[in-house]
Amino acid sequence: MDEKVPRSNIIETEIPMGTVHPAALEPYRVRFFVEDEIVQEAEITIGVNHRGIERIMEGLPVEKANALTEKICGICSNSHIWNSCRTAELGLGIEITPRAMYIRVIMGELERLHSHFLYLAHGCEVLSHETFSMRVFYLREIVMELLAMIGGNRVQYGCSVLGGVRPRCDLDESKLLRLKNDMDAVEEGLTGFVERFLADSIVMSRISGIGVLPQKQAIELAVTGPTLRATGVARDLRTTMFEYDEFDFNVITQNDGDVKSNLIMRALESFESIKIIRQAIANIPEGKVVNRDWEMVDTDIIESYIEVPRGTLYHSYALESGRVRHCIIRTPSMANIGAMQYACIGDQITDAQLCIVQCDPCFTCTDRAIEIIRR
Amino acid sequence: MFENILTNPIVAVILTVLVCFIISMFLPGIERKYVHARIQQRIGPIVIAPGIMAPLKFMFKENVEVSSPVPGLYKALPIVCFIVVLCVLIALTPEAYKIPALASLVSIVGFLKVEEICYVLMGALSKSIMSVRMPFPDKIKGAVHNNSNLSFIEDISARRSLRMITYGSFPLYLALFAPVTAARSIFLGDIVAYQQIHGPFLFTVAGGIAAVVFFIGYMIILNEYPFSIIKAKSDVIEGPYMEYAAKYRAVVVITRGFFMFVLGAVFSVLFIGVPPTIFSWGILVNIAVALIFVVMMGIFSAFVPVFTNRQLLPTILGTTLLGILAIVIGLL
Amino acid sequence: MGIKSFSRARAIHVMLVYTGGCNGCDIEIVNSILSPRFDAEQYNVFLTWNPREADVLVVTGPVTHLNRKPLEAIYEAIPNPKLVVAAGSCALMGGVYKNCYGDIPSEEIEGPVENIIPVNAKVPGCAVRPQDVLAGVVSLLPTLLDAD
Repeated sequence: MDEKVPRSNIIETEIPMGTVHPAALEPYRVRFFVEDEIVQEAEITIGVNHRGIERIMEGLPVEKANALTEKICGICSNSHIWNSCRTAELGLGIEITPRAMYIRVIMGELERLHSHFLYLAHGCEVLSHETFSMRVFYLREIVMELLAMIGGNRVQYGCSVLGGVRPRCDLDESKLLRLKNDMDAVEEGLTGFVERFLADSIVMSRISGIGVLPQKQAIELAVTGPTLRATGVARDLRTTMFEYDEFDFNVITQNDGDVKSNLIMRALESFESIKIIRQAIANIPEGKVVNRDWEMVDTDIIESYIEVPRGTLYHSYALESGRVRHCIIRTPSMANIGAMQYACIGDQITDAQLCIVQCDPCFTCTDRAIEIIRR
Repeated sequence: MFENILTNPIVAVILTVLVCFIISMFLPGIERKYVHARIQQRIGPIVIAPGIMAPLKFMFKENVEVSSPVPGLYKALPIVCFIVVLCVLIALTPEAYKIPALASLVSIVGFLKVEEICYVLMGALSKSIMSVRMPFPDKIKGAVHNNSNLSFIEDISARRSLRMITYGSFPLYLALFAPVTAARSIFLGDIVAYQQIHGPFLFTVAGGIAAVVFFIGYMIILNEYPFSIIKAKSDVIEGPYMEYAAKYRAVVVITRGFFMFVLGAVFSVLFIGVPPTIFSWGILVNIAVALIFVVMMGIFSAFVPVFTNRQLLPTILGTTLLGILAIVIGLL
Repeated sequence: MGIKSFSRARAIHVMLVYTGGCNGCDIEIVNSILSPRFDAEQYNVFLTWNPREADVLVVTGPVTHLNRKPLEAIYEAIPNPKLVVAAGSCALMGGVYKNCYGDIPSEEIEGPVENIIPVNAKVPGCAVRPQDVLAGVVSLLPTLLDAD
């Protein structure tokens, strides 16, 4: 079953890293149990940036709570506000205008692009390949400028509101044209990068076979998102989401579950995102961007799952006279921590941080609901 | 009177060393600005920033208590490294050829070994804040292992430096001894004299192969990417240099640039037969070789990721075999 | 301008410590230092991860409870003269996380950064823009140059 069992129970030495470390931008503590530079076991301690967002959301008016969910994560902020609005919309039966739905999809896919580019760039940086990292960061700037154009801010755009999107985020002809042209530029740049990356035999030999996560183990650890798809399981919630009904895209899978297939996975998925954005630009319906025709009622606990760049995001809360109650948020990195610890085992300690990075950790997302017991 | 002073060998050596030292301070900046930044399509820092301004700035910083079991020794090590590099350069100057014990390959290899041992000691003595000493409640109820031995990240770095001493520096030493096969002498004076008669060793088959081996050895001993495993950013951050601050860090930064130049000079003495001295135009060859090496190293290091032990062993093994080939061809 | 100020203006080492918050400021700052678009190195600002090398400490995030001691330890490790830039609204005032229990102070958030270490420059924004961070570091230059 478990293919990578630690060889012995006696641990030669322990090397802790964090909470500040160049390979891990976020604060977390990781303890590597090492024997002759080979990692035997890894323990990731999160909870370092616990702020208690769900506690703050408790009792807030739902519109305010939606805006607050953006502050959970600075990478996938749009996903959080999208899913939070979606939760309320499902509970209250609000119809979203078709135009708003398209704009939400465009924002979601742009965010996936910037998140995947960040992943590629950070992965190359942990590999100490500064040049590749710089090239992807340069590409990423195009996407960031687009996000800033639509939402008005480079990181937290506040795009979705109940019933649609903010009027500020409406796309007029010139914005659509720029979006279209920049998608061509991004695709061209990304194609060049991927070709260059795959042709680089030194990098390929460096990353293939590192941090392997077998498919069986991935399913057992309930891994989610691209990390799961990189092991060969074609599970993507976008295929079941009604927002994506009108779009044609492929679910990318890779087979090995190592760093190489994870990196290629993200690169190929970016092309699918570009494809979706192009379809959205071509078919965007006319009409209003927000539906204000709804009434607030009390609801039971409502649940909503969407696919975000890192995997499955879950939001749930009940509404009580317009206020949020019993809020629970489950982010994809929560499920992937097991995979991160597992992927490190059996690799050089130089690669250990790379194995953690390959699962695309976002511990700021994850550190919300963990109760810190202090004496 | 004035000419007497100039021809005094000690004054000549001091002047040569000074000129080389000043030129060497530009090398890190050239690598960063004109190679790395250019490849990465950005503007990059001014040329004097990494090599001259950074050490000067560190000179003006306040000293701190280093966290080390033997602070005195730890602080002395960069100065030892600097003196070692200085000794190598002095051994290369023509004035030193009169002292055969100094101006021989054996002494150069000895000096370089001292340099490598310094890395081991630095790594073992540095106890930085970034790993074990970080105040964080690690050993709590529910942790995986609560009674394991703790290692600082510099300890791994020290262990790696030890490993590099055993096999990592083979290519450089083999390349150093390749010219001996032609000149049939380990004294620098004889090697230079042989090449001035028979032409540079670089342009023979054995010399060409040995030059490639020398270049890889040069990158390994300078700990430049991809061979920077003892200071890989992805795990040990800066490895042996973690705890140096203020003046000692300035010495570390200066030593690196100086070492780049001196290794270039070693190449030009052994493979081209041009010793560094300010009394001949030959010093321009030394400078050119140092520059070419730095630019080549910059280009190479900008396009490769850091190697782990898994890639390092085959690379070094292959280079070592190449070095042996060069020596065998030279002997035949 | 003496040689001291001259050299300090031409080599500034910046260290980033990220103390909780939402990751947004953090990635924006690493981008402004790293990406070729903004390229802080052209202003001779170098990114370092070693406190012994740093001159300027950029702190983001509201300093969560577990991050307080590491932040203090890293601040202690930086040799003088050292300056601190607090970037982002969380670092300036605790952001949205500060008053999560109404008037009762939050147990999780120890920040803003000012409560823990002295702050020399404040860069507002949620999330900060890379341009603002560069401006913040540059605005510190006179203080840095005149320090002993």
